Amino acid sequence: MDELKPQPDQLISFDVVVDGDHHATVSIDGELDMSGVDPLAARVDEVLGNGVTSLTVDVGGVRFADSSAIALWVRWASAVDRFELREPPPLLLRVIDAMGLAEKLGATT
Amino acid sequence: MFWLPVATLIVGLLVTGALALVSHSQFVSNEKRLLALRVRDADAAVAGALSGIQTPLVSAAELADSTHGNMAKFKALATPLVGAAGSGRPYNSLSLWRVNSLASGPVAVQGAPPILAAQPSEAASFLAAAARSPKLSVIGLLKVPAPRLGYAFANPGTTGGYVVYAENALPANRHSRLQSTSAFAGLDYALYLGRQQTPATLLVSNVRHLPLASPSHAETVPFGNNTLTLAMSSRAPLGGALPRDLPWIIGVLGTVLSIAAAALTLRLTQRRRAAEQLAERLEVIASENERLYAEQRGIAQTLQHAMLPASLPQIRGMQASARYEAGEQGVDVGGDWYDVIDLDGRRLLLVVGDVSGRGLRAATTMASLRYAIRAYAAQDDGPPEILNKISRLVDITECGQLATVLCAMVDTEQRRLTVTSAGHLPPLLISDGAGQFVDTEVGLPIGVEASASYRSTTMTVPSSATVVAFTDGLVERRGESLDEGLERLRETATRHHVGLPELLETLVTELVNGRSEDDIAIVGVRWTS
Repeated sequence: MDELKPQPDQLISFDVVVDGDHHATVSIDGELDMSGVDPLAARVDEVLGNGVTSLTVDVGGVRFADSSAIALWVRWASAVDRFELREPPPLLLRVIDAMGLAEKLGATT
Repeated sequence: MFWLPVATLIVGLLVTGALALVSHSQFVSNEKRLLALRVRDADAAVAGALSGIQTPLVSAAELADSTHGNMAKFKALATPLVGAAGSGRPYNSLSLWRVNSLASGPVAVQGAPPILAAQPSEAASFLAAAARSPKLSVIGLLKVPAPRLGYAFANPGTTGGYVVYAENALPANRHSRLQSTSAFAGLDYALYLGRQQTPATLLVSNVRHLPLASPSHAETVPFGNNTLTLAMSSRAPLGGALPRDLPWIIGVLGTVLSIAAAALTLRLTQRRRAAEQLAERLEVIASENERLYAEQRGIAQTLQHAMLPASLPQIRGMQASARYEAGEQGVDVGGDWYDVIDLDGRRLLLVVGDVSGRGLRAATTMASLRYAIRAYAAQDDGPPEILNKISRLVDITECGQLATVLCAMVDTEQRRLTVTSAGHLPPLLISDGAGQFVDTEVGLPIGVEASASYRSTTMTVPSSATVVAFTDGLVERRGESLDEGLERLRETATRHHVGLPELLETLVTELVNGRSEDDIAIVGVRWTS
């Protein structure tokens, strides 16, 4: 269990759980942009370095994601064997679709 | 910074002093008033005692007159009235004198011989005066070793010619604890004969060392043809201990409170001073930050514009225009760019791209992609080939970046538009007051996969058509669907029938109203023939 509460000047909170052999679930809430992705990226890089090869990213609580956030997910998708972006809200799914990344990110509703 | 606490202390002490003084003067005046009341009470008690002295003398004088000096009857009357000091009888000595022969001494004596008789001439003049006086005559025999007080009375209404004379010894050393009556309780007193308060006229006092302690109060009481003066002072405050101690209590408490208030004021003053200093320093830091921010933003914008085309190519039958708007948070160089490349004098290649992230890393990736596209375009590669080739230049697993790129090739003479998208938003095609987004297959953004393949869509456009390509900053808003932003762009673009540069300016102004978070690159071409 590893949790970070939203900082006063940040709009994001996330939770990274290694919940199986080589599998981790990342839950993200809030608005994710360039100013807030670094702690998330650092934490997930840590579990990827520890042998996680399968990643589920739950973005059901994400209200906004800019291209930096989407780039981060694409980098994760390229780094693991199996990647799933779970429950992207419609607004987010539309952006991912417009970028031609729905298949790459395994984005399913 | 010390004036305020010092002023607080001074004001506090002044108020304390004033209160203590008022309280003390209240106490003093109250004590005076109470003492005067007590002295009047005591006076009344003395006056009562004096009548006990006068009345038997009057009776004896009347008896002597009416019996023509009958000795047996005088003795019978005098015996119960006379006794030694401390016997409780009114007199120590009682004697009867004939007015016509005063010089020959008393005709009868009961008790101790009167010491007045030892000085015949003085006795004669005193008793002669007493015989003429309707009042009791009083004489102080105070200069002798055992001082006495003498009283004489002659009945003025008769012609019998007798004077009755009595003497009382004063207490030893004229000191007496005396009268435990309530009128004297708690008080020191001194009783004088006459109006003068001198040792020579002192009759009795309960203190050994006169004068009485201050404050004292004196009242006179008539005593026959003479006067007694009763002076008194109180041993303890008559109004109780609290009024006496109140000035001290006020003084001590007020001083403590004043010091505490001054200390508190000093502390608050120091804190305020510290807060002011901190605020001043923060203000300096804030203005310095603001200056640095403006400077950095200026540098970023300069660099940004340096990496964008200085001018756009002009070819016959085609107008091209572009704008770049830095976002609100634009202290860093952004990753958006546009380009218009003249391919062969009749075809132009429009490019719009967006590298994820900001700063120098995004800017250098943007610059390398922009110049790579120019290079491949110069080799006469079509848009799909160009995108395929540049997809090898960026690898997201290495640099964490990806880029969306739109390449649109426009043919002036054949009015053809060929669009290829690497994860980028489609261009808007406007003609005859109607607008539509070009429906084309969207390939992967650059950086996701090396050697990604791309397909292009080609269409023929009406004359005077306009193509506008843009980055997402123009249409994206937090909490809003991308489609709403696209529709707002389409609606705005078809509502304004103006020149191309004005159209782009209008789009930027109306759609983001100068408050875009993100950078915006927008480029457009219009067929003019």
